[in-house]
Amino acid sequence: METLIIHLLNSLLYASVLFLIAGGLSLIYGVMRIVNLAHGNIYAVGAYTTAWAVGRIEGGAPTIALYAILPIGAVAAAALGAVLEPTLLRPLYKRPEEYQLLITFGLLLVLEDVMRFIWGAYPLSASALFEGMGSFSIGESIYPAYNLAVIIVGGMAAAALWAFVYRTKFGVILRATSQNMRMASALGVNVNQVYVQAFTLGCFMAGLGGAIIVPQQGAVLGMGVDALILAFVVVVIGGLGSLEGALLGALMVGVVREFGITFFPEIELAVLYLMAAIVLLIRPAGLLGRA
Amino acid sequence: MAEDTSRRDFLKSLGVTVGGAAITAAAGVVSGPAKAEAQQPKGTIPDKPFKVGHMTFFTGAAAVLGEPMYKGHILAAEEINAQGGLLGKRKIETIKADEAAGTDANVKEMRRMKLSENIELFTGVTSSGNTPALGPVAEELKLMTIFVDGCTDFLWDKAVPNPHYIFRITNMQSADGVTAAVGTAMTWPQVRKIAHIHPDYSYGRNAFDHFTVAINKLVPGTKVVSEGWPKLGTTDFTSHITKAISAKPDLLVSSVWGGDYVAMYKQALRYDLFKKMKFTSMIAFGVAPHAIGKDHPQGVIAGIHSNYYFTYPTSNRWPLNDTFVKKYYDRWKEYPNFQSEGAYVAMHMFTMAVERANKLTGGWPDDDAIISQLEGLSFSGPAGYIHIRPDNHQGYKDAVTGFSINTSDYDFQILDPKRMITIPIRNITAPPGWPKGEPTSTYTWIEKTWPKVA
Repeated sequence: METLIIHLLNSLLYASVLFLIAGGLSLIYGVMRIVNLAHGNIYAVGAYTTAWAVGRIEGGAPTIALYAILPIGAVAAAALGAVLEPTLLRPLYKRPEEYQLLITFGLLLVLEDVMRFIWGAYPLSASALFEGMGSFSIGESIYPAYNLAVIIVGGMAAAALWAFVYRTKFGVILRATSQNMRMASALGVNVNQVYVQAFTLGCFMAGLGGAIIVPQQGAVLGMGVDALILAFVVVVIGGLGSLEGALLGALMVGVVREFGITFFPEIELAVLYLMAAIVLLIRPAGLLGRA
Repeated sequence: MAEDTSRRDFLKSLGVTVGGAAITAAAGVVSGPAKAEAQQPKGTIPDKPFKVGHMTFFTGAAAVLGEPMYKGHILAAEEINAQGGLLGKRKIETIKADEAAGTDANVKEMRRMKLSENIELFTGVTSSGNTPALGPVAEELKLMTIFVDGCTDFLWDKAVPNPHYIFRITNMQSADGVTAAVGTAMTWPQVRKIAHIHPDYSYGRNAFDHFTVAINKLVPGTKVVSEGWPKLGTTDFTSHITKAISAKPDLLVSSVWGGDYVAMYKQALRYDLFKKMKFTSMIAFGVAPHAIGKDHPQGVIAGIHSNYYFTYPTSNRWPLNDTFVKKYYDRWKEYPNFQSEGAYVAMHMFTMAVERANKLTGGWPDDDAIISQLEGLSFSGPAGYIHIRPDNHQGYKDAVTGFSINTSDYDFQILDPKRMITIPIRNITAPPGWPKGEPTSTYTWIEKTWPKVA
């Protein structure tokens, strides 16, 4: 029983971070119809920034200050998004989609090298935060308390995002722009402003994902590309452009991965792609996607 | 050997030693790479720069191994250039390439380096996925090549069974699994239930296979109770750790490396994994030394790819190592790992062969003259004695592993230089002439010739 609970918590942990990444990717696509291939490295920027900031003040500052500084990665990612959208993406909206794919892919490579240039080839770690919370007991086993905190933050982020999109005026404008950009524009919505806000919000989520997971996993080169591929698995399952889909997809990937590792270790890597392939065959637009 | 060989006798027959001073002698001439020959080279040497292609990981998760390799190479090149270059005349110019570009792109880059840049020597390479693709191309291009790592047995077993232009300096991959098994059998012969976590690619599979074949001989009655095969580059091990713990093993064996390993041990600490079982790794301490924190569990077998750790041979016992560590630290403000040592030794070994060939032929020696000097060469490097086997062009040195310990000398955890386990490499790899086997020659050799100990 206690092993089952731990497996469940592990699934939720994985799903929380995946949702933050894939949710941001899906939000950006839903509003702007841009597949942002650089999204994984926005997540990595969040992770690196938090790890760097924690490393800077570690030792000299009280632990509470370390936790307070944790969201800096999300802020940095959002700021990066707010700069990138108007400068790099906006000039390309009138061009065919291939241009957007090319420029976001280029951005992915550039960001990877920029991170290596700034922070070097060795992993950065912020494990003081992970260790600071200790572990709690579940029966005879113990479980890291920090993981539980990540799950709670992930859940809260999902709830806040839902409330934001469905319960605020900005959410209405966002959804209207998403459904019909020309009509929204004709009705007086400043589409450029909506786009930069949506892109910034999407980047903030990815950066938050990176910032909260870095104490547990560390920041390594290449983490962004891995995250991007998993985020695509999630949105393929849930439906590109759908936030509910991203949540459902992340939960399914979290549970199936845990199940795969436990019972089919030899095909751990394959189970997620198998699941995505099956969903594509049955519902090509994803489980909650709009066809 | 009889079936009732005792473990102690068999380990003794392998020549396994534990301690701070053991270096077994290799046959042949011994000379130090750090000492430049004072004699003048014979004949006229052109002063054309000597271009070297160096390929390693500069991006991606494997850059934690690539970066130290490059630093080792550059340190050696700078030392040689400070003496005026090869044979006092030819300054080394390094052209670097990122191995992360992928195997196909790497092959193209090697061709480009040879055909457009006119490199005369190719070195580097980290991944076992790349050496079997690059090896045959180097032979085809007639390009002098010294691979630093990319240690798969497959290179000599299958891809290039009769090498002429290519050599490799680090110990072969199968040594990792076998060394870890020998260390385990010596230290914890009571273990029976074994859990495994290995990265899911050729290195992890090789480590699992060779550990298992060797431990079955050395500690009969063990069984595998849990397996985890995370993707290379994974930093989330919570599920693998949970699974391993719930199988209640006596021992966890892992070949997870680099940044992945740092994430894995930190997560495992929070699950009390190291309090619940023994731990043996093939390559935990292979990463740049300062990446391992003092929170790492002490007293576990923390492998170093069977090659080299900077605290061993211990200081004042082996001046070559003292000098190397000091030079490397002064140049890069960090301590070397096994890749640094490999790349450094590769360049000095090449220089030594060029100098010897020059004495025989005069002028700048051609490749065949250099190759005939490299074949069978025995010399000393920072890690100890190295011998280049003439049949397969593989560098052999004592396989080493050790135990983790915190000391006040360093602000990271190190391998205990007083408890290093050393095994003469010839005793744990298939001898020359042994038929090629599946999955490796060493695997079938152990399976067929090692006794099951009593």
